[in-house]
Amino acid sequence: MGVDKPGVLGAGTPAFLTTRLDFVVNWARRNSLWPMPFGTACCAIEMMASAASNFDLARFGMERMSFSPRQADVLICAGRVPYKLAPVLRRIWDQMMQPKWCISMGACASSGGVFDVYSMVQGIDTIVPVDVYIPGCPPRPEGLIYGLMMVQEKIRGESLARHGELRAEDPLAVGRPRADDREVADLTGPFGNSTQQNQVSGLVETGAIERPEDRLT
Amino acid sequence: MADQGSAGSVPDFSFVASGPGRSHADAPEQEGPASVPPGNPSVTALWEQFPDGVLRNRVCAGDEDVVYIDPGRVTEILGWLHEMPDQHYDHLADVTAVDYGGGRPIEVVYQLWSIPHRAALRVKCELSLDGLEIDSVTGIWVGADWLEREVYDLFGVTFRGHPDLRRILMPDNYAEGHPLRKDFPLRGRFSRAEQTRRALTQDPEDYYMPGEIGERTPQLVGSGADGGHEVVGSGPGAGGEEDDDGL
Repeated sequence: MGVDKPGVLGAGTPAFLTTRLDFVVNWARRNSLWPMPFGTACCAIEMMASAASNFDLARFGMERMSFSPRQADVLICAGRVPYKLAPVLRRIWDQMMQPKWCISMGACASSGGVFDVYSMVQGIDTIVPVDVYIPGCPPRPEGLIYGLMMVQEKIRGESLARHGELRAEDPLAVGRPRADDREVADLTGPFGNSTQQNQVSGLVETGAIERPEDRLT
Repeated sequence: MADQGSAGSVPDFSFVASGPGRSHADAPEQEGPASVPPGNPSVTALWEQFPDGVLRNRVCAGDEDVVYIDPGRVTEILGWLHEMPDQHYDHLADVTAVDYGGGRPIEVVYQLWSIPHRAALRVKCELSLDGLEIDSVTGIWVGADWLEREVYDLFGVTFRGHPDLRRILMPDNYAEGHPLRKDFPLRGRFSRAEQTRRALTQDPEDYYMPGEIGERTPQLVGSGADGGHEVVGSGPGAGGEEDDDGL
């Protein structure tokens, strides 16, 4: 029946293709990534620039910035995240549908950046799982586009057979830290002019006054 | 402040503990009018009206008039500045505070601006660290509400008579102290893991005022569009014990 109609490669060719399900699904997913913009600082300016006509993020399938997490595929966290915003970021991530990916854009989102202070999350990977980190302060739009293309490459390599393994999510973990205490402590270990922080939870005697090199004279 | 004496083997950095730079607070302060004549006539008027309420005055940065007043009479003096036609400081530009460290008093700063007279005046109150309480000026300028909440949040100054004195910038369950104090360590008092854990146990909707986001308004009085800010039982801790209703 299908043979009589013009096929996919012209008249007389079959009107169907054989392919792998993984390939088709990944092809569809990676070319219609809708970003959820979580822009909190100057990185968001670069993110807006990448969506504008000069760089035109829509060329890569990010046709529309989805300002609702439920219609978004990739969370772009652009900018510094204070602890007060951490539960908001976590809730937005939990509201996004599977499959979903996360990009940590810029130094502050990836590591806290220069904001090694009491109020700032030292890397959003302690809050949500991150697929791609983009360095820069802030990154150029080319950097963000390259990061999104890395997400596309990551999707290309995914397999439905390993879906559960790749996208495992514990419903009981909603609202809980993504990383455990030890992991968070390792990720945010003290460095530089830090006060004396220990590696575990609890009240810490920092002795800030006793370290005069911490002060500007 | 408490542990200055245990500096141990470090060289004598005691001058560091007294805060950055040499501030005017180190200079011997004379009670009474400054030697530089004030550029703002309100300073002279304050001296005449409140000879025992005004402690001293300074002129800083060339033309900024600063008046130090008795903290116990702040509402009286600021109310006078607000009400008198010759003064008429109707715009409270800012309420903030300064901690000079080293156990010195925390200064609460009121930055006033008179729109009709085009005059600026800075009024300061010195509060010793063991008595961080001052009367609220929300009765004079309603806009002082959030400014005083910010000073309370970051410096720990309690404002008597404030209608809704609770934290405004830091989370409600913040237990590490008041971050802009000089004795507050740069990275906070808890470990990063504990800070992350505490942050994620917050419900973001608790950040809003009751009635601000629609349905979670058990304390709302009345109904309709204009009743949204009449709240009973508001205050520290009010509305913070909502159940988490899932996502």
